[in-house]
Amino acid sequence: MTELYQKLEKIVSKNYISDSIYVRHAYSRVVDPVLQGVPDIVIRPKDAQEISEILQVANEENIAVIPRGGGDCEFGGSKPIENSGIVLDLKRMDNVVNLDQDNLIVTVEAGISWGKLNDYLCNFGLYTGCLGPGSGLTASVGGGISHQSVGGGGCAKYGSCTNQLVSLEVVLPTGQIIETGSQANKHSKFPFNRFGNGPDFASIFCGDNGIFGVKTQISLQVFPKPPFASYKTFLMPRKSEEVSAKIFTEMRLKGIDVYDSMYFMDLLVRVGTEKGIFPLWDNLKRKRGIMFYTVEANSDKELDGKVNQLDKIFEKNKSEELGSEIADGNIGKWHYEDQGHWLIAHNLWGLIPGFTALDAECHTPISTYPGILKDVDLWDVEHANEMEQILEIAGMRPITGSGPIILIGDHNVELTTGFTSFESYIDGEHYEIIEELNIKLWKSLLERITKHGVTWYMLGDILSRLLVEIGAFQPEYLQFLTLVKKTLDPRFILSKGKFNFWGDT
Amino acid sequence: MSEVYQKLEKIVEGKHISKDLYVRHAYSRNVDLVLQGVPDIVIRPKDAQEVSEIMKIANEENIPVTPRGGGDCEFGGSKPIGNGGIVLDTKRMNKVINLDQDNLIVTVEAGISWGKLNDFLCNFGLYTGCMGPGSGMTAAVGGGISHHSVGGGGCAKYGACTNQLVSLEVVLPTGDIINTGSQANKYSKYPFNRFGNGPDLAGLFCGDNGIFGVKTQVSLQVFPKPPYAAYKTFQLPRKEREVSAKIMTEIRQKGIEVYDLMFLMDLIVRLGCQEGMFPFWENLKKKRGVIFYTIEANSEVELDEKVKQLDEIMVNNKTEELGQEIQDGNIAKWHYAEQGHWQFYHNLWGIYPSMQPLTAECFSPIGLYPNVLNDIDQWDMEHNEDMQKIFNITKIRPIAGSGPVLLIDGNNVEITCGFTSFWNYYNGEVHDIIEETNLMLWKSLLERVTKHGCQWYMMGDYMSRLMVDIGAYSEEYYNLMKSIKQVLDPKMILSRGKFNFWGEK
Amino acid sequence: MSELKHLKSQWEAVMSCMGCGDCGYAIRPAVDRYLTCPVKEAKGGEGFEIYFSRGRMNVLKSLLLGQIPLSKELADFVYQCSECGNCTEVCHMSQNEYIVLNTSKWIDHVKVWEALRQDLIEAGFAPLDKHGKLIDYMNDVSMRNPYGEEEANKFAWISEFPEIKEEGDLILFGGCTMPLRQVDTLKSMMKIFKAAGREIAMSKNEWCCGSIALRIGDQNSLIDIIKHNVEIFKEMGAQTIFTACAGCYRTWKKDYPELLGEELPFKVKHITEILTEMLNNNEIPFKPVEGSETVTWHDPCHLGRHMNLYEIPRDAILKIPGLKFKEMKRNRNNSWCCGAGGGVKSEFPDLALDISTERIKEAIDTGAQILTTSCPFCIGNFSDAYKEMEPKDQEKINIIDIIDLIAGKI
Repeated sequence: MTELYQKLEKIVSKNYISDSIYVRHAYSRVVDPVLQGVPDIVIRPKDAQEISEILQVANEENIAVIPRGGGDCEFGGSKPIENSGIVLDLKRMDNVVNLDQDNLIVTVEAGISWGKLNDYLCNFGLYTGCLGPGSGLTASVGGGISHQSVGGGGCAKYGSCTNQLVSLEVVLPTGQIIETGSQANKHSKFPFNRFGNGPDFASIFCGDNGIFGVKTQISLQVFPKPPFASYKTFLMPRKSEEVSAKIFTEMRLKGIDVYDSMYFMDLLVRVGTEKGIFPLWDNLKRKRGIMFYTVEANSDKELDGKVNQLDKIFEKNKSEELGSEIADGNIGKWHYEDQGHWLIAHNLWGLIPGFTALDAECHTPISTYPGILKDVDLWDVEHANEMEQILEIAGMRPITGSGPIILIGDHNVELTTGFTSFESYIDGEHYEIIEELNIKLWKSLLERITKHGVTWYMLGDILSRLLVEIGAFQPEYLQFLTLVKKTLDPRFILSKGKFNFWGDT
Repeated sequence: MSEVYQKLEKIVEGKHISKDLYVRHAYSRNVDLVLQGVPDIVIRPKDAQEVSEIMKIANEENIPVTPRGGGDCEFGGSKPIGNGGIVLDTKRMNKVINLDQDNLIVTVEAGISWGKLNDFLCNFGLYTGCMGPGSGMTAAVGGGISHHSVGGGGCAKYGACTNQLVSLEVVLPTGDIINTGSQANKYSKYPFNRFGNGPDLAGLFCGDNGIFGVKTQVSLQVFPKPPYAAYKTFQLPRKEREVSAKIMTEIRQKGIEVYDLMFLMDLIVRLGCQEGMFPFWENLKKKRGVIFYTIEANSEVELDEKVKQLDEIMVNNKTEELGQEIQDGNIAKWHYAEQGHWQFYHNLWGIYPSMQPLTAECFSPIGLYPNVLNDIDQWDMEHNEDMQKIFNITKIRPIAGSGPVLLIDGNNVEITCGFTSFWNYYNGEVHDIIEETNLMLWKSLLERVTKHGCQWYMMGDYMSRLMVDIGAYSEEYYNLMKSIKQVLDPKMILSRGKFNFWGEK
Repeated sequence: MSELKHLKSQWEAVMSCMGCGDCGYAIRPAVDRYLTCPVKEAKGGEGFEIYFSRGRMNVLKSLLLGQIPLSKELADFVYQCSECGNCTEVCHMSQNEYIVLNTSKWIDHVKVWEALRQDLIEAGFAPLDKHGKLIDYMNDVSMRNPYGEEEANKFAWISEFPEIKEEGDLILFGGCTMPLRQVDTLKSMMKIFKAAGREIAMSKNEWCCGSIALRIGDQNSLIDIIKHNVEIFKEMGAQTIFTACAGCYRTWKKDYPELLGEELPFKVKHITEILTEMLNNNEIPFKPVEGSETVTWHDPCHLGRHMNLYEIPRDAILKIPGLKFKEMKRNRNNSWCCGAGGGVKSEFPDLALDISTERIKEAIDTGAQILTTSCPFCIGNFSDAYKEMEPKDQEKINIIDIIDLIAGKI
């Protein structure tokens, strides 16, 4: 190990590498209460060249490398799957490299957060369109691209952040550095287009969950932030799940370019007001589902035109508009004006101490989520026994349900569902039974939702392997994926174990 | 060959395969005047299953297979490179399979033309957004996806047609059939999302120029066609190249979502009037360049606002608006209201008899095209002697220049430039010197444009090999492409020779 | 290798084809363009590109470049074309008179196909069997018609109409197909003329116009025929000659002056032009009508695309009492061929019927009860296809020549 450490240390110098047990444990978990993997080494490279060298060493030594951006994966993706390997902390690479104001393209280092990037862009009246994932204050641009992320605002209009991708600098698992899109032509002086010069190779790194390459530089299209915006929040009538889906669909069928639209299910509103999360909705007579939209425009009148069309849809569907201020319940305003979009996680998480996420975030067609939510309720009932067991220890039953449902590109929604359970350490004691039940229930729920045919975008450790284990991939597709993986990463060094790509051990 | 023929005949029934000399010659060329490759066999499969079986036999026998959709490649892409092999005519697969009206997704067989698809969609008030390439009455949806096509309308707003891709059914070179995106999850009942379930492997087939797989089914997002549209045509002032680029940039920087925007250079206007192509511009006092825009909206007030914003930019740049009607010179109206967008080629093609394209169609940043066009003028002068050789025979000099320059997404344009020359068969005689000169000049021009850093999307036979020959790809990038090619297509059966992927004979 | 004399004269057209393929696939709803090549469509799964213009143009390029020979095999492909000219429309048409496509200046597809057919004939690979017979009959002095019937049969019907004169300024060219295959329509025509008090003349010495030979590409005896026909009408004092046959009309009005190299000494009209004149002048005494029927019009290629006669027949229909008019989805220059032309009907009858069936279905789709046209080849081919259709479809529509349609209302 020390020989490996020395080799790596030579690459980055000693300030940027550690094998301290405390440092290693600091990097051993992500956003869930059950998955842990303690790396042998944590390293903080400064650029593609260093990463290339690190990967070459890792190949020589046959040791796993796990890239980590913001570390916000909800499925254990940015930590080792087993207790070994090198975590590649990309957060040192967080600079804006260039803003091409003529062509509205920004080039950044992959470790920069969506928040930092947009802070920079707003000086020029620009923004990234899709503002990354809901954890965008922390989550990195590289991680967004690795997961087709949505959620941090703007994804109803701009779709997932990979839609804005222009060019990538990627270090392949064997250490070669490539640039995609227009940059595949050596003579191109700056990135300007993703598509061309042959196949769209950038795409295989989009949503790859870090298995095909380490993103080091990213060029994104950016957009002038329109000077006018409107945001309104509405209380839904009965059957809010179905009605909200109908409203989403009607907006799409009318082709109105809403910037964002979200639906909060009844449970969230009820529990949220009960537990003091949503003072803004305390005064609602009925604690039913809530929906909001945000729409942007280049002029006042244009905005009015769009608002009229949207309001008509909401009115027709018997929803009740709340007041225009945040204090009146207008969460749409908080979301857009206060950049609350980067804080809008699943609202059941952390409801009480030790209560954390076992998540099931996925994309699904608009019309299917009412059915899925009902089935998730049913699943909850079917697993009452296990839930009771946790209740007996923790004093509270885990809650199954859904966080905000977000309209995204392709006439889909992002469904932030899942169940919220307890850490196995409660009040001085460690309960293995809770850990076992958590894993069992999580897998069971994920399998259940997979069978609704949803698309998973953040797959990490547990879900990427589960899909393979339950045979959810079309066999030819998995074979194809494996072929590409083998070609790029013959020793399965990078993100070892995801999708059960283990290589020879 | 007759044994192979018999095997193939069993797959498709006799009437869907031919080795007739004349049928083979009918498939031996695309849209250019120099490249020819006569296949041994032409076959018209009906579905993915048949394509798969054909690919398996081709692998057994080591015979190249060239897929062909509309056959509109301008670089010899949908015919064999060199004589021999099998041409896979996918035009028999031309049906709409399903329109998902809730989710606005259409699934079609890959051989359907953009025209036929949009004819179907208009019954539902829908359209494909980007209407495919300028040859969309013939060009296939599969071909569009294989080339990131733009040009047939809507690409300033919707971008390349691959932006709308949801899912692909692809037959891999070895015969495996896979489905991408949401369909990689075998529980998904219908296509709804491109991004997820791991890496975006659909992207590998986007712009692949037919080297990685044969597209057999394509699911595309479709859009409600907005009920309001405006289209205006303007004459440009002096320095039209720079001014038109400035206008395009200003529109992008204002974030106005124009549907289409094109610039036609003065040469085209002048020659076009002289040769009777543009009767509606005959009265223009100065035969300068022309620019037009098309914009859509959901309401009259939105439309008015957008038009106001656009017209302000046009006026500030000292352009002069032509009248509203087509007869007043408003080419934009023809383009949008009469679907002229599907007949909108380089207007110099065919201007004199037997005068045809040797094109250089590519993507470029907006700011770059004035330079590229100026350099093409320069190139033309530098090659005066060679042009003269052709002139000596034809008495007309080939013309270098650009057809319409189209705003596409990102802040890019498609430059439809090139030079227009003559067939080697001229007035009863075959002139080898014309052919030699054509090939030499074409190569020289393509290399010149490549060195501006332009991005090629349709690469076919000629361009794909030239990129490799002149070393325009970085070594790492080419190796990546090659290793993926090798693993997907070990014998280099599919589209053999493109990008110099030849395999072993 | 043959000299390709005729094809070489069309080299500019051949080499100006860019290979865009719209001649095979064009669909452009905004301008009512729904597909182009009836032969390619009828071939269905077998529709290799050699069955429409682009593929053929590619073959012609290879021929001119000396890569491949003329042959009987090639002739078998080449004659599977009704020469309807729909490919030319797409190739030429920006669909707007203010924007002209370059190709329109150099390419006339039908001329190219006919040049190739001439070369095939001169090289001995054509005519194909049945075409050869038609031409032999046409040149046979005892027949002078392509149907192999005695010459006298063509004129037998005249005996019923003593009012037909031997001289006059308005002269009917009877042709072959009408008197030998659709004689009742000629009789209907006489009923109309009689009711309107119009006088016409006709000669029993006219020969087949030669259309069949021209379309097949055999011009050997054409000049003799033309001279003969022109001469006899001149002698009869013709100011205007007219015909009820779209094929004869195209041949007389377009081919004769071209081949002679001079204008004819009289006007040439189609029967629909005469009928429209009469209708406009209210010369035809219609009986009172009750109710109304819906009618649709099929543009014969030889009237429409070849001769640009689109509006006159429509004007006529609109003047006939008791009719509502409805256009087919594809009409005028976008009209779908009946499938009979270019020698297809005689040599490839099944292909002709497939194309025809498609067109009748299109007529049924309009909801019209009557499909009318004015061309004996269209009527003949439609009637043959109609016979093979399901009774439930047959009930939906009747096919009738516009002359019979008018005569039935007198």
